[in-house]
Amino acid sequence: MALLKVENLSIGYRTAGGMLKAVDGVNLSLEEGRSLGLVGESGCGKTTIGMALMGLLPPNGSITGGRIVLDGVEISALDEEELRKVRWSQVAMIFQAAMNALNPVIRVSAQMTEAIRTHRPDMDEQAIMQRVEGLFNLVGLPLERLHDFPHQYSGGMKQRAIIAMALALNPKLIIADEPTTALDVIVQDQILKETKVLQEQFDIGIIFISHDISIVAEVCHDIGVMYAGQLVEAGPAQEVFFNSKHPYTRALVGSFPTLAGPKSKLTPIPGEPPNLIGAIPGCRFCDRCPKDTASCKLEPPKWQEINERHWVLCDHC
Amino acid sequence: MSQSHKDILKLEGVSKFYRTRGNRYRRGGGTVVALSRVNLSLRPGEIFGLVGESGSGKTTAGRLVVRLEEPDEGRITLDGVDITHLKGGGLRDYRRKVQMVFQDPYQSLNPQMTIADAVAEPLITNKVGDPADRLERVLGVLDTAGLSPAEDFIYRFPHQLSGGQRQRVAIARAIVLEPSLLVADEPTSMLDASYSAQIFEILQGVRDQMGATIIFITHSMAAARYLCDRIAVIYHGHLVEQGPAEAVINSPSHPYTKALIDATPKFGRCEGVPTYGTYLPAPRPAGEQAGCPFFQRCALAERLLCSATYPEWRQVAGEQVCLCHFAAEGGQSPPPPEECRLGG
Amino acid sequence: MSVQQATLQSLKAGRRALWRQRLAENWRVFRGNLLGKIGLSLLVMFGLMAGLSYIPPLIDPMYHPMTGVDPLVVKSTGPSLTHWLGTDFMGRDILSQLLAGARVAFMVGVSAAFMSVVLGTAVGMTAGYLGKTTDTLLMRLADMIMVLPTLLVVLMLAALFGQLSIWMIVLMIALFRWPGVSRVIRAQTLSLKQRPFIDAARVAGASHTRIIFRHIMPNVLPLAFLYMTFRVTSAIVIEAGLAFLGFGDPGTVSWGMMLQWVWKTGHMFTAPYWLLPPGICISLITLSFYMLGRAMDEVLDPRLRDETQAG
Repeated sequence: MALLKVENLSIGYRTAGGMLKAVDGVNLSLEEGRSLGLVGESGCGKTTIGMALMGLLPPNGSITGGRIVLDGVEISALDEEELRKVRWSQVAMIFQAAMNALNPVIRVSAQMTEAIRTHRPDMDEQAIMQRVEGLFNLVGLPLERLHDFPHQYSGGMKQRAIIAMALALNPKLIIADEPTTALDVIVQDQILKETKVLQEQFDIGIIFISHDISIVAEVCHDIGVMYAGQLVEAGPAQEVFFNSKHPYTRALVGSFPTLAGPKSKLTPIPGEPPNLIGAIPGCRFCDRCPKDTASCKLEPPKWQEINERHWVLCDHC
Repeated sequence: MSQSHKDILKLEGVSKFYRTRGNRYRRGGGTVVALSRVNLSLRPGEIFGLVGESGSGKTTAGRLVVRLEEPDEGRITLDGVDITHLKGGGLRDYRRKVQMVFQDPYQSLNPQMTIADAVAEPLITNKVGDPADRLERVLGVLDTAGLSPAEDFIYRFPHQLSGGQRQRVAIARAIVLEPSLLVADEPTSMLDASYSAQIFEILQGVRDQMGATIIFITHSMAAARYLCDRIAVIYHGHLVEQGPAEAVINSPSHPYTKALIDATPKFGRCEGVPTYGTYLPAPRPAGEQAGCPFFQRCALAERLLCSATYPEWRQVAGEQVCLCHFAAEGGQSPPPPEECRLGG
Repeated sequence: MSVQQATLQSLKAGRRALWRQRLAENWRVFRGNLLGKIGLSLLVMFGLMAGLSYIPPLIDPMYHPMTGVDPLVVKSTGPSLTHWLGTDFMGRDILSQLLAGARVAFMVGVSAAFMSVVLGTAVGMTAGYLGKTTDTLLMRLADMIMVLPTLLVVLMLAALFGQLSIWMIVLMIALFRWPGVSRVIRAQTLSLKQRPFIDAARVAGASHTRIIFRHIMPNVLPLAFLYMTFRVTSAIVIEAGLAFLGFGDPGTVSWGMMLQWVWKTGHMFTAPYWLLPPGICISLITLSFYMLGRAMDEVLDPRLRDETQAG
């Protein structure tokens, strides 16, 4: 049984200009201990999905269709009280701005023990402290820095502390939203590698959200490419990366420079994503697509199976 | 270097220090070295990459070049003219020739100014043309920067544009005076990866069509390889390696350069890029002030030599030079004997 | 007309359309704010009163708020057909006094607020932008003035120099009330000065004057404007206080003056028709300016939010 199933999920935001369909009919599934990367430009709905999985949509956002099932429990139907129990203990999140996720005036140790204490009233202080020390070792933070304040940490250390907190209650699923964007290249690389090791060690499912397909491809088993609120291509990382079918995925893969190989010309994607307020009858990418045909604008594209587990939302692939 | 007389920009022994004020936790002020004795020279029409992590001083170097800040030591010359301490009118003339694109397009455009006004500003401050000429040039550069039809953009405010569009506006504004030198400070780091290629393309166009020399400041080795003719790697304010982009990336010589290459995501099209493992995950205790700047993190360092002696520039191959005691011709530094090597 | 000229024309037209659009957008936000709507309608009402104040003296000289006396009335009388709100102790019409008071309130409030905000903005921007010694000097001056109790000092000056004219009072209020504004504007200027777009302007070759007027000022003006609406309130209250205590301009009919007359002639508890209207008006006009300010806050805020959200 899949750890996480997202079925036909749609999420809308009420805005001054009307309903903004941030996510439109997305299906995902994640097995235990696997990792799924969600890639796309800002505004494509990837962060919104992450928030919805945590039950943390902003007040003007709501799930307008479909459901989210985590480990047999339908999260999208839970009320706030039940959600709070699921949050952190079963799903944990590593935020985009990790630097701000720690309270600057409380010592790191206190923040971590507090997080455990609220969810595990059965544990005594000594057990909690042992757990915190264990987590510190796990993520490679020196124990002597345990009682520091967050501002005494470097960016990479803060991110490690956040990862330790996410792991604190043995969640089954971790949502990592651009966890390394603000970090330096070397630290980013270290943290990505460590995350991967931890994930395999504890069999945690990870949803990794990023705008950078090269990072996602390196870390994740599977990739889902999102565009304008829809999933447009999904499959195993190798497949999606080397055998990309959707013109958008191809453009993404072709738009970042590499360290080796021929210095082929990068392929910039022209134009901007469409406005998601109001209905879009046909394919959402057609304005920027080299394969654009008359029918693309009128008919919504259908899912095509390319290979086993490799799907693409395009009629011309 | 034989053709030094042709260099457009030269930095000679440039240093910049910041004085930190004491606070309740750390008494008294200290000095932070942002740049230390940096020597650089740029050739006309090249794209020169300055690669380093945040806090390495690469942005400071860019700000010194456009004279947003003044160096504490050393001298900067453009076309042989000393501009280190220019003021007033001289500085204004200098800035007609040297422009900058800033890192964060969400912050570098005045939120209260329309795109037309923002792009026309350098023309107005330098009293170029009449309003009609200026408008024509504004439309022209917006087009060059890939914002077309340009007429659609000029009436808008920055907050009505996407990040990629804003950065293109910022580039248009920087090239409207047709500068001979353009400093691009991490122009893609705040943007989605998919926009980077657009920005790279525009920068290449600026070089090819306007003949501008570009200093491209970045943290990404891959981007530097794609865009630059020559690169310099900078670590904690010290240049550590310099040379043709292809040579430095294919056969890096300095352990820090190697560490940067190790850290770059390699998924796809990167077969054959070796892993060097020259970076210590945990730093070792600091050496002496005069030692190698990379000593604390260098897996190859030799305690006695590297902690106490500042390395000399060594030629590795052709134009590739490296600031390391163990750099040798041929591009690879030989590993020091096992007994000298320090544990991690 | 050349093609260039035509494009230039269209640029100008486009710019005008842009500002109209911006104004319309702000108006839309403002209209969505209940406090703002109440405040604005109250202000429109007071504005009408101020405008109407010119009419009664035209009907009959006895309706002149200061000098017009009803020959048939010798003491304060309650509302009647000829005097809708009644008369004061010597037979002057209260309604026409009330209307004239609205005019004075607007005049005092807006001009004192305007002057103090202009002064405060200029000082704040100068201090924030130039920094160093200038900043220290200006801000210490602001501190010194800020700690002076405005009402008390103006009272003392009034006692020293005899009666002050209404314009002197306005000037005093302006001179004593700028430091608060200048502090806020200075803080805003300091944070703006750090923003990269100021560096970008410097690289573009902008002079200090241009940076101050073209880049910093448009970004602090909304805030200054906001402060102005709050300053109007305090100016009106200070003037009313002065007048009530007997240090107002004796040649002007303000609401504070009316209150003073009620009190001095001992009608405090006997003539509610005389006491209440100016009292209610003072409270309402300060309230309405305050509500307007709160609504402006709303209007200015979403744009700031807009900017950060895009990032």
